[in-house]
Amino acid sequence: MKKEILVIIGLILWSCSKSSEEVAYVPVPMEVEIPTNFPDIVYNLDNNPVTEAGFELGKQLFYEGKLSANDAIPCAFCHEQAFAFTHHEHTVSHGLNDGVGRRNAQPIQNLAYQSEFMWDGAATHLDLQPVIPITSEVEMGETLSNVISKLNADLYYQGQFDKAFEDGEINSENMLKALSQFMIMMISSNSKYDKYVRNEEGGTLSTQELDGLESFKAKCTSCHATDLFTDQSYRNNGLSINPKLNDKGRFNIFENPDDLYKFKVPSLRNVEKSKPYMHDGRFLTLEAVLEFYDSGLVDNGNVDPVFERVDGSLGITLSDYEKESIIAFLKTLTDYEFLNDDRFAEF
Amino acid sequence: MKIMKFTFALLLCAVLSSCSSDDDMEDLAGQTGDLVIKFDNGVGDQDFIFQTSYNKSNGESFKLETLKYIISNIRFKDDEGNVFMYPSEKNVFIVNEADGNNAGEIWVTLEDIDAANYTEVTFGIGIDQDRFALGADGQGDFLTEAENEGMLWSWATGFKFIRFDGTYSTSTVTDEGLNLHMGSVGTALDNYKETILSLPNTVLVRNEKTPEIHIKADILKAFESVTSVNFADGYDQVHVDAVETPVIAANVATMFSVHHVHND
Repeated sequence: MKKEILVIIGLILWSCSKSSEEVAYVPVPMEVEIPTNFPDIVYNLDNNPVTEAGFELGKQLFYEGKLSANDAIPCAFCHEQAFAFTHHEHTVSHGLNDGVGRRNAQPIQNLAYQSEFMWDGAATHLDLQPVIPITSEVEMGETLSNVISKLNADLYYQGQFDKAFEDGEINSENMLKALSQFMIMMISSNSKYDKYVRNEEGGTLSTQELDGLESFKAKCTSCHATDLFTDQSYRNNGLSINPKLNDKGRFNIFENPDDLYKFKVPSLRNVEKSKPYMHDGRFLTLEAVLEFYDSGLVDNGNVDPVFERVDGSLGITLSDYEKESIIAFLKTLTDYEFLNDDRFAEF
Repeated sequence: MKIMKFTFALLLCAVLSSCSSDDDMEDLAGQTGDLVIKFDNGVGDQDFIFQTSYNKSNGESFKLETLKYIISNIRFKDDEGNVFMYPSEKNVFIVNEADGNNAGEIWVTLEDIDAANYTEVTFGIGIDQDRFALGADGQGDFLTEAENEGMLWSWATGFKFIRFDGTYSTSTVTDEGLNLHMGSVGTALDNYKETILSLPNTVLVRNEKTPEIHIKADILKAFESVTSVNFADGYDQVHVDAVETPVIAANVATMFSVHHVHND
């Protein structure tokens, strides 16, 4: 009896999906938000205009296990919305076959406004960034060609690529473009701080938050610049070297000794939700981070001069109140609209 | 919102599974499965990294180059109160930070655990008097392993339960030697301690499932928890002292907490 009902439901679902297969390419453009307090967009939208069907496809791919070798590790495995699209509280991430990576998963937000990606800038175009996790042995462990053949065998994708792209091809170009369309739309620009700088409703900062903003401007914005909260440079911030990982950072790209232990200055948006911190996730709280900048830097041979104090020691001197108020300010960068936006949610 | 949807999905699963198996309860008799305990060392709100300086609340700081301890007598209590003790001859492990993966986790894999829904884990830190009294009997390769790991004393027989090597600094000294090599001293001084941790959610051991228990160990608590100690007062060298070793042993027993559980 129950089995029969299931069969009937199955038939209904099957007939639904069959009828929608016929739909062809109808580009419905989606507007990419350009917040007034942001710098210029970097991504060239002319080459990959965002459409509703492309965005929908990109979202499906973002949550698609088939992008990994065991069909179970989608992008979202390490990039969960509730944690500002990071891997909930993991220092470094684990992936295929319990493989363990070397770095902390970064948030996915405002990427259309950035020109390079990953902690060391290994990806210089947003379209190409997903190739790194998809093919990494410890992350998704797949090949592009195998992903494409899996998508080709899937009814949904057969229909959705038709809707999303004029040529309708299920190929890596279109797959990566769809992922970019999804990521381009992931803009976090409605935190309390944003409303404050744009003089919008809900943008009232407390005295302590304002004090924190002042201290932040005085002591942090030489690196965490603009309303993206990163100058997109690579810097060595004087972390002790973890001998187990000995991660040389940007040095690995060009093998330039000047790049030793340099990592990309991260954005601080939604930082309250994206713990732990630093490229290896060594600090579990914001308090630990500010304590580090005040008193924990070590001379690893190539520390950025921005950290040199007059007396030659390294660090950013912060009083207890400055630490407390900077943290209060950083929490105003939490964008609940973004973190709860159904457009980006799996379900 | 997401939780609502999750709850709904769970409900749906519950309804579906109750439909499909309305005639029999899950039969676990004779089933066994594996279980992984991941030990993850940290210091307060930081991950532990070798040769990195950590502050104590008294102003002293320390860096370590060796961090090891012995875990033994792991056992689990299930939701009906039954206790599963891992077989004694295999139930002793050296947790060595140097063996950690990139995430700094040291994995202890336990095989052939009785299938059950476990709610509590208990383990000892060090070697208990009963095991010590067996001498070499039933210890298999553990004596060799302990020797290779530098966890066996040869000048006076016994095991080092805890081994921290590194340096410490205070307002007056910089990078002085810091060495904790401590265990029990014969039968006269028993420093074996046990810790009982309840699990935040039930660990389901089954034939085809390998759940993981992620345990965090806060190294700072070895020096400041039950009793706060100063390196400057002699706690920079802790070996067999009848006063110091029980203090550290009691502190170490409070280091552990279950961070989360992954059911496969």
